[in-house]
Amino acid sequence: ALFAGSRLLKGYRGGHVVIRFALGGCTNRPFFRIVAAHSRRARDGKYLEQLGCLDPLPNAHGERVAGLNLERLRHWLGCGAQLSRPAEKLLGRPGAWGPGWGPATARRGSPLLLAGLAGFLPLHPMTVTGAERLRRRRGQEAVAPPADGSPGAR
Amino acid sequence: FPAWGPRLLPARGRKTRYDPPAKSKASRVKLPPPVDPEELLVVTERYRQHRLLLSALRAQFRAEVLQKKREALLSREDSAELQEQHQRLMAWNEQENARQRARREERIRKEEEEEKKQKLQAAENKARKMETFLQEKEKEVLRLQEEARTFITPENLEARIEECLDNPRNYNFAIDKEGRIVKRTVLS
Repeated sequence: ALFAGSRLLKGYRGGHVVIRFALGGCTNRPFFRIVAAHSRRARDGKYLEQLGCLDPLPNAHGERVAGLNLERLRHWLGCGAQLSRPAEKLLGRPGAWGPGWGPATARRGSPLLLAGLAGFLPLHPMTVTGAERLRRRRGQEAVAPPADGSPGAR
Repeated sequence: FPAWGPRLLPARGRKTRYDPPAKSKASRVKLPPPVDPEELLVVTERYRQHRLLLSALRAQFRAEVLQKKREALLSREDSAELQEQHQRLMAWNEQENARQRARREERIRKEEEEEKKQKLQAAENKARKMETFLQEKEKEVLRLQEEARTFITPENLEARIEECLDNPRNYNFAIDKEGRIVKRTVLS
C-alpha cells in the first residue's frame, strides 16, 4: 500500500477520520457515496474506503435505496471514526427514542442484533425532534383550515 | 452577543466583506430562529443519551477490532518460531542481566573495601599526626619551662641588675684576615 493508517501523501496537520457522504452524479441528479475519509480532505476527494452508497431520489417503486458495508463500518468505528450529521441520521435505529419512551426505560436487547438500513446505530435525536415538529405542525394545520374554512365560507 | 439577540453581521454569501449591502436590506433585522425551552430540554436530554449510547457502541467496536488484530497476530504462519525465538532471547537477556549483576556487585564490594581501607589509613594518619603534634608541643612547653627559669621577673629584677653590674663582660675581639681571633683586649 502507498500509505497506511493516517499517513497521507499530502501532508495534513491534525484532522481525523470521518464517515460522511461524498456527492457525485450530474446536474439535478445527485448521488451520494458513503465514504470513510480524512476530515481535511475535499468532500469528493481521495477517501480511505467506500462503505456504501445512497440514492436520494425515489425509484420506480417509490423507495429510496441505500447500500451499506456494515462489517467495514464497524471496523472504522472501532478505529475511531467520527460521523457526519446526515450519516448519523441515516444509520439510526427506531425504537431507541419512541414517543412513549423516557430516559428511565431500560433498553432491551443489544442494538448490534438489528441490521439493515436505519438499524445500525441508535436514532439521532434530531430525527425524532423533526418528526415531532412535523406531527405538531400537521395537527395544527388540520385544526386551523376547518376553523378558517367555516368562518371564511361565511 | 447573546444567541437569542439579533444578528448584527450577516454570514458572507455571494458578496465579499467589502461589498455594500443592498438597499432593500437596509431595514432588515435578522433574528435567530425561536427556541422552545421545554423542547430544548428534551432535545438536550436526548442528545446526552444518544452520545452515551454511541460511546458505548464505539467501545464495543474498538474491542472487536483489537480482538481481530490480536488473533491475527497469534495465528500467523511462523508464530511457533517467533515464540521460540522470543523465549531464547529472553533467556539470553536473563543471563546477561545475571552476569552484569555479578560484575556490578563485585565492583561495589571492591569499592567498599577500598573505602574502608582508605578510611582506616586516614584515621591512622590523623592519629599519628596528632601524636607528633602533641609531642612537639610537649617539647616546646618543656623548653619554655626551662627557659622560664632564666627569665627576669619583677622579683629578680633588682638581683639581676646587681649581678650584671657586678660582672662586666667584655664582648670585644680582634680578627685578622687569616681568621685568627683575639679575645684579650685593652679594656679587660
